[in-house]
Amino acid sequence: MRRLYSSLVDGRGFDLCLIGIPLAFLIVLSGVPLIYNVVMSFQAVDMFSLGSFIRPWVGFENYRQLIAQPEFWPIMGHTATFLAASIAGQFLLGFALALFFWTNFPGASWLRGLFLVSWVMPGLVVGAVWNWLLSGDFGVFNFVLRELHVISGNVFWRSDPTFSLWSVIIANIWLGASFNMILLSVGLSSIPGDLYEAAELDGAGALTRFWTITLPMMRSTIGALISLGLIFTLQQFDLFAAITAGGPSNSSNVAQYWAWDLSFKQYDFAKGAAISVIMIVVVMLASVYYVRSTRHEVRG
Amino acid sequence: MKTSAILGAALYAGAAALGMAAHAADPVTITIWCQDDERQPGLNLAKEFGEKNPDIKVVYRQIHFDDVTSEAMRAYSTGQAPDIIAIDNPEHALFASHGVFLDLTDRIAKSDVIHKEDYFPGPLASVTWDGKIYGVPKATNTIALYYNADMFKAKGLDPDKPPQTWDEMVDAARKLNDPDKNVYGIAFSAKASEEGTFQFLPWAQMTGGGFDKINTDGAVRALTIWKTLLDEKLASPDTLTRGQWDSTGTFNSGNAAMVISGPWELNRMSQEAKFDWRVTLMPVPEVGAPRSSAMGDFNWAIFKNSKHPDAAFKALEYFVSQDPRVFPDWGQLAARANIEIPPTGDAKKDAAVKVFMEQLKYAQPRGPHPDWMKISKAIQDAIQSALTGQATPKDALDQAAATIQGILG
Repeated sequence: MRRLYSSLVDGRGFDLCLIGIPLAFLIVLSGVPLIYNVVMSFQAVDMFSLGSFIRPWVGFENYRQLIAQPEFWPIMGHTATFLAASIAGQFLLGFALALFFWTNFPGASWLRGLFLVSWVMPGLVVGAVWNWLLSGDFGVFNFVLRELHVISGNVFWRSDPTFSLWSVIIANIWLGASFNMILLSVGLSSIPGDLYEAAELDGAGALTRFWTITLPMMRSTIGALISLGLIFTLQQFDLFAAITAGGPSNSSNVAQYWAWDLSFKQYDFAKGAAISVIMIVVVMLASVYYVRSTRHEVRG
Repeated sequence: MKTSAILGAALYAGAAALGMAAHAADPVTITIWCQDDERQPGLNLAKEFGEKNPDIKVVYRQIHFDDVTSEAMRAYSTGQAPDIIAIDNPEHALFASHGVFLDLTDRIAKSDVIHKEDYFPGPLASVTWDGKIYGVPKATNTIALYYNADMFKAKGLDPDKPPQTWDEMVDAARKLNDPDKNVYGIAFSAKASEEGTFQFLPWAQMTGGGFDKINTDGAVRALTIWKTLLDEKLASPDTLTRGQWDSTGTFNSGNAAMVISGPWELNRMSQEAKFDWRVTLMPVPEVGAPRSSAMGDFNWAIFKNSKHPDAAFKALEYFVSQDPRVFPDWGQLAARANIEIPPTGDAKKDAAVKVFMEQLKYAQPRGPHPDWMKISKAIQDAIQSALTGQATPKDALDQAAATIQGILG
C-alpha cells in the first residue's frame, strides 16, 4: 500500500498519471466520437435510432451506395481541387506577405497584426461578406475587375458552374493567408542573421540567399504549415454554407459539405458518417506522410 | 436570438429546481420548443398561456430554424423531447409516420375551439397522416407574383391586367427586362435547397403533376420556361444560388420588375419599395387550367411521450383561439379560411393580403411523406442540372422521377 502511494506521489505511478489524464481526455473527447462515427458508417441508421449504439449491421452497403451515386467522383474531384488550390494560394500569399513585412519598414509590426483580423473573423461572417463581394449583378469584385478591364461583362461567381468552386477558394485563400503569414513570419525571424551576413560577404545575391538559406531553414515550418493547412481546409464548411451551398448543381460541393448535407438535411446519417470516414483515412495518410518526412529531416 | 436561448436555458434550469422544491403541489410543467422570437406569435402566446393558467408552468425554448428537426430527433431518441413543438410542415409526416407525435384526432373532434373544417385544405393535409390528425397548423403562407406597376406603365403594359398565364408572364418579363438600367424582368429562387422545391413544385402541380409524378409534359414545359428565363437573362443568373428573401430584395430596390415570393415579404416591402407594387395570383399554364401554389410555415404538434398531454392540448387550444391576432399583431397568416383580416391602413398591403388569402385556397403541401427531404433533393438536383445546362429539362426530370420512384418504393 505504501509502495503504491509513494509510486503515485513520486515515481512511475506519477508518470503514468501524467500520461493517463490527457490520454483519457483524448479518448473520451476524440476517440469515442471517432469510433462511434466509424461504427455508424457500417450500420443502418434510422433517424429515431440515433440515441442507441446497437443497430443492424449492413457491412459496406453505405459505402457502396455512396460510390454508386453519380455525384460521388465529381465531389471528390472538387475536394481535391479545393484542397490543392486553397493550400497553395494561402501559402504563396502568406509567404509573400511574410517576406514583405520581414523587411521591417516603419509600422510593419502594426500592419502585420491588422492582417490577423481576417483570421479571427468567424467563417460565416467572412462567407456573408464574400457572398456580397462576389454577387454577380452588384458585386464589388466584378466592379473592380471591370474597372481594371480584366472582364467586360459580369461574371456570376457563385452561380456559374465554372466559377462557383473558385469563388469559395478565393474567399478561403483570403481567410487563411494571414494565419500562414504569421507562422511563416515566426519561422523567418528564427533564422540567425549572421548566416545572411556571411553569405553576403561571399557575394550571394538576394535570390541566391532566398533559395540557399531562407527556404532550407524554413523547411520544418513549411511542412507543419502545409499539414495544418490540409486540416483547416478539410474542415472548411462555413464558407460553403454561406456562399454557394454546394451549388449550382453540386459544382462547388465538397466532401465535408456533402457529409453535412446528407446527415442533417436528408437525415441519412449513415452515409454522412461514411464520407467522414473516407475523409479521416485521407487525413491519416497525409499525416503519416508528414510525420515520416519530418523524421527524415531530423536525421539528415 | 442568443439571449432568449440563454434565457430559455436559465428558465429550464429554474423550472427543474422549482419542480423539485414544489413537488408537493404537483404543478404541471409543459415544455414548448419553437423558433419564434418576441416579434412572432409562438413566444408571446406561450407566455400568455402560462400567465392565464397559474397551475401550468410553461417552459419555452427558442430553437434556430435549421436545428428544429435534428434537435427534435435527438431529444426524442434520448427521451428528452418537449411536450409541444413547432415543426416545419414538410417534416411533419416524418414524425407522424414514426408514431412520435400524439394522435389528436379524437381530442380535436371533442374540442370546442379547434375545428377541422376551419382550415385550408393544404395546411390540414400537412398535419394528416394515414387519415389521422397529428397536429394543428400554426400559421401558413404561400407564393404569388409581385409586380412593379410603375415599370408596367413605363413599358406600355397595363398594370391592371397582370400576366395570368405562363406565356404572358414570359412575354411581360421580356418587355420589362432592361439590362441598361440594371433591371431584370423577373426574380425567383431556384436555389439547391428546400426553397427551390418550394418554388418549382406548384408549377408541376398546375399541370397535373406532383412530387410523385414530376416528369409530366407540363412539368417539363415549366422547367423549360425557367431555363428560358435564365438563358435569355430575363432573371439574374444568381437565381441559382439566391434564396427568396434576397431575390425579393432586388425587386424592392427596383432591379427586378416582378418577383415570385410570399406574404412574409409584406412588411419589408411596404417599408423599402418606393413604387406602386401589387400582387397577382400565380400564373397558370393556360387560361382555365387548375391553380396551385406552394404552402409553407409551421405546425404545432404534441410528442407522444408527453407526460401532460391534456395540459399540452389545452395550450394548443389557447393558441388556436388567438388565431385572429396572428396577422394584426405579428404579420403572419392563420391557416384558417374563417378569419377576417382587418385592414392595416396600408392600401397596398391590404390589397396584397386579399390576393394571398385567395391564393391560399390553392396551396398544396409538400408531400406529406416521411422521406420528404430526399424527394425534395431529387427535385432540386433536376432543377439545377437543367438550368446549368448539364441535362435537358426532360432528362433531368426523368432522372428525378426515377430517384423518387425508388424512394416511394
